[in-house]
Amino acid sequence: MAEIKSVELKVGLEVHVELATRTKMFTRAPSPAHPDYDDSPPNTLIDPLVLGLPGALPVMNREAVEMSMLVGLALGCEIAEFTKWDRKSYYYPDLPKNYQISQYDLPLCYDGSVYIPLPPTPEEDDEHERHKRIGIIRAHLEEDSGKLLHELPGGHAIDYSVVDFNRAGTPLLEIVTQPDFVNADEVVAFAQFLRNICRFLGVSEGVMQKGHMRFEPNINTIITLDDGHIVKTPIVEIKNLNSFRSLRGAIEYEFKEQPERWKKDGKEMGPGAKSTRGWDDVKLVTLMQREKEDAHDYRYFPDPDLIPVQVSREWKEKVRERLPELPHVRARRYIHDYALHAKEAAALTDEHDVCLFYEETVEAIVQAIPGVLSDRAGRLAANMILQQGAKRANEQAVLVNELGITPGQIAEIVKLREEEKIGSSAADELFGLLCESGGSDGGSALRAESPPADKEDTAQRAVPPMTVEALAEQHNLLQVRDEGQLDAWIDEVLADPANAKTVEDVKGGKTAAIGRLVGGVMKRSGGAADAKAVRERLEEKLGG
Amino acid sequence: MSDTKKPQGAELSEDVVRRVAHLSRLALDDASIERHRGQLVSILGYIDRLRELDTENVDPMAHPLDVVNRLDADEPRACLSNEALMKMAPQAAAPFVRVPKVLGGGEGA
Repeated sequence: MAEIKSVELKVGLEVHVELATRTKMFTRAPSPAHPDYDDSPPNTLIDPLVLGLPGALPVMNREAVEMSMLVGLALGCEIAEFTKWDRKSYYYPDLPKNYQISQYDLPLCYDGSVYIPLPPTPEEDDEHERHKRIGIIRAHLEEDSGKLLHELPGGHAIDYSVVDFNRAGTPLLEIVTQPDFVNADEVVAFAQFLRNICRFLGVSEGVMQKGHMRFEPNINTIITLDDGHIVKTPIVEIKNLNSFRSLRGAIEYEFKEQPERWKKDGKEMGPGAKSTRGWDDVKLVTLMQREKEDAHDYRYFPDPDLIPVQVSREWKEKVRERLPELPHVRARRYIHDYALHAKEAAALTDEHDVCLFYEETVEAIVQAIPGVLSDRAGRLAANMILQQGAKRANEQAVLVNELGITPGQIAEIVKLREEEKIGSSAADELFGLLCESGGSDGGSALRAESPPADKEDTAQRAVPPMTVEALAEQHNLLQVRDEGQLDAWIDEVLADPANAKTVEDVKGGKTAAIGRLVGGVMKRSGGAADAKAVRERLEEKLGG
Repeated sequence: MSDTKKPQGAELSEDVVRRVAHLSRLALDDASIERHRGQLVSILGYIDRLRELDTENVDPMAHPLDVVNRLDADEPRACLSNEALMKMAPQAAAPFVRVPKVLGGGEGA
């Protein structure tokens, strides 16, 4: 038998996004995907339609249709002029009507594509941007099912199952890509890109733990044998992955396993060969699942209770006006306007909240420093967030905007630095102090410009607000340029016998050696001395 | 709908009826399988008659009413109470509806 020479991976992705409308897809019961209702008690977001009671009739949610159009437009899709609703029939205890309303042959959005950013390869330099085009086959609207639980809250074992219908009827946008992915990195990059876009569009909070996004990759491998033959393994669909980690894990596992499976059973891609598997997050393997009925067994037919949707040019254009500036467009603007590197711009835009935090910081710097140009402000804000901010955010496994420091405070640090009142290490220390002060202790290091409006806490109100500069002063972080003080430190350093040789070197013309003396003074001052002023005074004194 | 497809009403097998019954979660005994087969054959026979019509230049109809875009504003309205559901449920384990044990799979739409 021929040996395997190489294996390639091919993946297409289906993504379910729960749209964060206030109410459900076909009724006005509140929806748990909206932040106002996401912790509602079980079986309280229900009404006759949600429960599939006889006689209940569905009415479409305009906002769900428009949010879907927004996503479609952001993914470069065509928006259908005419679309309708179909019933997909199957029996499951979490599906009260015994059918799901979906869009079978006329999806609302179709034929799109996006360019996803890829990490640079090791041999490329960091400034290089790599993108890959991913085709979007369709994005259609449907409704979510309820939730089956196999144990009671608190982990109490039961020998039956229970249903919570809160999620039933939540608008669900199913996005289907072309099988354009060739490795797990690309799939995860797309999934994160899509999550970020949904957050910028305001159509989903994108909280993975709450199931706001669920992924179903369709995976197969293309095996080249050493005799030149090519074998395609059967497509495996992995159901309901709800984290980027399990998405990656399931794909990497199948990439490894499918050639092994083929060696054992010889099964190749073809009609009826597709199978469905689930991902075991503990054992890190995919497992065979109950086969859902074949597509024709869903007995799709147009829902007689719902009339079609017709999208006029005017409606589409009105929705298009709602499109915000998308992350990749912002990244291009930062590169162009602020002269940021591609990598910096990507780091500032790949998380919605960090991106807004960055823009607020730029604005705060423009406000804080009279006459500063916006490109300079963009650069200074980027430096603070990507250096002082990113370092701490990584350590604490949070986002920069969650550190506790505010854009206004960062602007104050930048201002002190621009005015040369603090050095770079003091700026960093100040950044750290302000992060702590904004933390859960409610501000021990600093009473911010806007004290907490907590009426109970008179102690906090009694403390006057402290400026960032005052905080710097309190922690001896302001640079000392007072000549008397500088001279005192400098004289101590010059008088130190350990420095005698260096002093001679400088006097003898080796001016580069003066750096060591500057360092000595800085050390003696605890970092408070203005290094530039110290160097000037030393040069004067040593006649350098 | 392909015009070349043969009318299948008369040929409907018992197995197909059993499969449809299973998909519809209907427990039919042998006698009622035969009775339902007869009824289904006559329904399918009627549909076969429709195939005789020339639909070459007729657009597919998504809905008999000539109305589109009946859309509601996204504003919450009152819900049923959990108590109401508990009273209606054939079996309840408050605040949930109780169902026979389901083993894994099928989670989510």
